[in-house]
Amino acid sequence: MATDILKFTQEQTATFLKEVSERSGQNLQACYQCRRCAAGCPVADDTGVTPDRLIRMIVMGDRDQASNNLLVWKCVSCYTCGTRCPNNIHTARINETLKQMAKEKSLQPLDVKIAAFHGAFMKSASHFGRINEMEFMGLYEIKASGEEMKRGGLSAVIAEMMAQAKLGIEMMKRKRMHFGFSRIKGMDEIKRLFNRAGKK
Amino acid sequence: MEIIYYPGCTLDASSKLYDVQTRIVMEKMGFSLRELEDWSCCGATSASKTDEFLAVALPARNLGIADATGLGEIVIPCSSCYSRMLVSQKILAKNAALKDRINSELTKKVQGSIKILNILELLATKSREGFFAEKLSKKLEGLKPACYYGCLQTRFPIDMEVPYDVENPQGMEDVCVALGAAPVDWSYKTDCCGASASVNDSELSFRLMSKIIQDAAARGANCFVTTCPMCQLNLDAYQNQIIQKYGLPGPLPVYFLTEFIGIAMGVSPYDLQIDRHFVESISLLKELNLI
Repeated sequence: MATDILKFTQEQTATFLKEVSERSGQNLQACYQCRRCAAGCPVADDTGVTPDRLIRMIVMGDRDQASNNLLVWKCVSCYTCGTRCPNNIHTARINETLKQMAKEKSLQPLDVKIAAFHGAFMKSASHFGRINEMEFMGLYEIKASGEEMKRGGLSAVIAEMMAQAKLGIEMMKRKRMHFGFSRIKGMDEIKRLFNRAGKK
Repeated sequence: MEIIYYPGCTLDASSKLYDVQTRIVMEKMGFSLRELEDWSCCGATSASKTDEFLAVALPARNLGIADATGLGEIVIPCSSCYSRMLVSQKILAKNAALKDRINSELTKKVQGSIKILNILELLATKSREGFFAEKLSKKLEGLKPACYYGCLQTRFPIDMEVPYDVENPQGMEDVCVALGAAPVDWSYKTDCCGASASVNDSELSFRLMSKIIQDAAARGANCFVTTCPMCQLNLDAYQNQIIQKYGLPGPLPVYFLTEFIGIAMGVSPYDLQIDRHFVESISLLKELNLI
């Protein structure tokens, strides 16, 4: 219904807007909907939602829509929106904040593969202090395939495995696959930083 | 001139060739690279998408180690590592509380003194100083590269001074011209290849790259050149699939700028490991009598 967009309470709006603004460090209220961000956004064709729309959702207090749209998940962090914004609003930072908030609340991510990818990357970094591509891709495939299987997507899992296997073979042919494991000496520091992050 | 060198995880693995050729070329140019001792992962974009603290803290560990060396500058070839380190340094310069919190967990504390340079800044400066006018063993005549910068060298998630023209950087073109190549004028030099989306959202990433490939070919480029290992890997490893899917001409070889310099300074393409590209990249150099 067209009138739905006007349904908001001030309390709900203020809390959500304040949280997103503070955490992302962006002044969302400075947006005057000029849509330069929308014109430059490379993923807008795939997401339906453009950066200006997302900002509007947050300003209006629409927590559900703002957290569950493809822009938040498919944003490639190219930082075009923020670079071109006349008021320096970095919507990519807002997307990052919304993803962090979804993770903290253990909400089901709208795109499981993307969430699995970044989760696996950080896990790999926490294990060795460096990314070991074999371990990282293994962690990612297990997590992404598991989530896909839960949704009954066996054919998608098989297609994914085939694509990755093909790439793996091509990489091996060109000696671009590395099997050695790299581990830093200062792992105690990395562990402390990860612990500190968890405690915040 | 001694300078600290941060390879980063990618240059330690699938883009090892970039590490190898960076060392060869920079030594040949008179730099003495000192690899950052016990460097660790910068967190890349994954940290900023999952945890704000780690997005600043992971690069900070490396900054602390670099500051402690007492050397003035650190060079970083990977655009993502470069961006995360620079952003971390800028954020910590303005947020003393966060700096204290991070420093309390680090053995070598962040001081904020090290100057962070992208490899292109360093090469473009050398080029402007006229370095290549004297040192070349051959001119790269016939190469018409589309200079591809990607996202993270010019656009940052915070407001800050940028060493280039954000929408139309020229540093790579300057180096190419100094080497005798003829870079094309094109529209997608700072567009996004999708980075990690090639793995986790390939349809989207392929669409982004199809535009990049299409424009480069339409402008008459006979190759790409870049300094970003993710841009290189994406355009190189997936280009054949993309041109098939979208019916595009090509494929075009995707060179690193260090490969151009190496060839122009007489280094063997095999020492530079150009034969490890996915799109066959030796024959164009042979056709043009550059090797």
